[in-house]
Amino acid sequence: MEQKAIYELLAAKLGEGALAWHEDEVEPWAEIAPAAIADACAFLREDRNTDFNQLMCLSGIDWDGYDEAGKGKSVAILGYDELGKPEVSERIADGDLGVAYHLYSHAQRHKFTLRVRVPRAVAEVPSVAHVWPTAAWHEREAWDLVGIRFTGHPDLRRMLLDEAWEGHPLRKDYMMPAKWAGVPMDGRPYADNPFPTPEPPAGGDQPGATGPAEA
Amino acid sequence: MATGDKNLTGWADQDHVPGIKSELLELNMGPQHPATHGVLRLLLKTDGEIVYQVTPVIGYLHRCAEKIAEGVNYKQWVVYTDRFDYLAPVCCNHAYVTAVEKLLKPEVPERAEHLRIVTAELSRIASHLIALATFGLDMGAWTPLLYCFREREEILNLLERIAGGRMLYNYFVPGGVRYDVPDEQWIKDVLSFITMLETKKIKDYNDLLSYNKIFIERTADVGVIDAETAKAYACTGPVLRGSGVKFDCRRDDPYSVYHKFDFEIPVGMGEMGTVGDCWDRYMVRVREIEQSCRIIRQALDTLPEGPYQAIPLNKMVKVPAGAAYSRTESAKGEIGHYIISDGGQIAFRNKVRSPSFCNLQVVEKVGVGQMVSDLVALVGSLDIVLGEIDR
Repeated sequence: MEQKAIYELLAAKLGEGALAWHEDEVEPWAEIAPAAIADACAFLREDRNTDFNQLMCLSGIDWDGYDEAGKGKSVAILGYDELGKPEVSERIADGDLGVAYHLYSHAQRHKFTLRVRVPRAVAEVPSVAHVWPTAAWHEREAWDLVGIRFTGHPDLRRMLLDEAWEGHPLRKDYMMPAKWAGVPMDGRPYADNPFPTPEPPAGGDQPGATGPAEA
Repeated sequence: MATGDKNLTGWADQDHVPGIKSELLELNMGPQHPATHGVLRLLLKTDGEIVYQVTPVIGYLHRCAEKIAEGVNYKQWVVYTDRFDYLAPVCCNHAYVTAVEKLLKPEVPERAEHLRIVTAELSRIASHLIALATFGLDMGAWTPLLYCFREREEILNLLERIAGGRMLYNYFVPGGVRYDVPDEQWIKDVLSFITMLETKKIKDYNDLLSYNKIFIERTADVGVIDAETAKAYACTGPVLRGSGVKFDCRRDDPYSVYHKFDFEIPVGMGEMGTVGDCWDRYMVRVREIEQSCRIIRQALDTLPEGPYQAIPLNKMVKVPAGAAYSRTESAKGEIGHYIISDGGQIAFRNKVRSPSFCNLQVVEKVGVGQMVSDLVALVGSLDIVLGEIDR
């Protein structure tokens, strides 16, 4: 099926939920209202004409600082300076967050791309894990790295980072941590290194001797 | 969690043996366990030998390569793709440059495309050899490991001669490949290697392992993934084909110049048990080695003369603004790259969809109700690599 025709089917079903169809791009895509995304996915999965039985990819995106003019002038991410200190910025991030869904149908052999955008303050998108089980891990990853909360997800924990990690690394305003659990993150020796190099024992111990030194 | 829970409802309250309190045993398999192929941790809930719930815990190898992609330019990031699937790095290179080229649209020379396919298929064979070897090892067969590593060594030597590295090649650049064929002898050596593989070595693997009675007993009818489950969990590569689905990106969603070559897509047929069991997935890989040999021979026989780079190596790449998703068939399955460009030299966002990440998730469903030792067979037959899962 033509992608345009798929979008028209979808728009007829969703009504207000289908926002726009972006045709003149390398990869045409449909813009869907966040509240309608679960219905849209369920429809595309169940309808026999579309039959999208595979979710190829689900990507979380932070659109903050994106150069809409296409001149490559997006805001640079924050890293470490020459001394190994995390860079800081005064800029207040206010860009939207987004999710992109790439679908494929084994039976019909066609692809389709959906995108949603949510404001940074209310980063909540309905989960599609009940439509495609594979979405469960992708959504956990997007929550972990981009910080998009998927409502209705069966088990929304962090996927790759530790449960106690602070922040979401793929956000554009994410500041690199100076240390994690007391360990410096950039590999440089710090004055308060928790693992200082041990002093060589005085008194001529045998090399390789083990056990506590005798008093 | 999601799939296991319903099996556990009220389990502990039941009076299994009168007068004796019973509960499920929590068991950690990994992260330092030889059968988990890297630093994978499986959190099991078991009743004796029966697994009631499997929860994979991943992230021990996480480097946040996608964040690094937002700080280095398009050419510099090829290096990081090598580190995803370190058993088939050239296939990962291929996936990434295909995605960049979808936006950049350079005229990639035919010679470069052929060299890409030759090296990528060699890499695929090397990865499949490791898969056979370690799967055999998991099942208690030690000898095939030595045979497979011997042939893999040959491939590493061949790739070292063309790319300069032994494990991590950094061979592709957007618009072509980094080096041309070193000499005519290299082509002859590749051809003689694949002839040797096709005529003698694959028969050795089949005699030693594939049709070994003990191996079949351990893998047939074990860890069955049916076609619907495989599709729902977005399994790809040999895992999907092992379940009897004839789908291969090289044929069904062609990229590069794969459409020019003639090859079969092997699928699981349930010869030893059920369609989609561990033996089927294993055998798909053995048969794919043969098909890769066919592709390499055709690509080298028709290797065109001419340039091998569309963009000089020292020139920076500026990718036009836009977003594109591309997928390619690596040794483990489909690698997808979703690249968003703002028109500059650095990707605004580069999302990597790795095949092992999606394939591993199916363990949560299929692992339930298996014996612990069969879970080892299931995870081994999925052929995961943790560098790609954790990225």
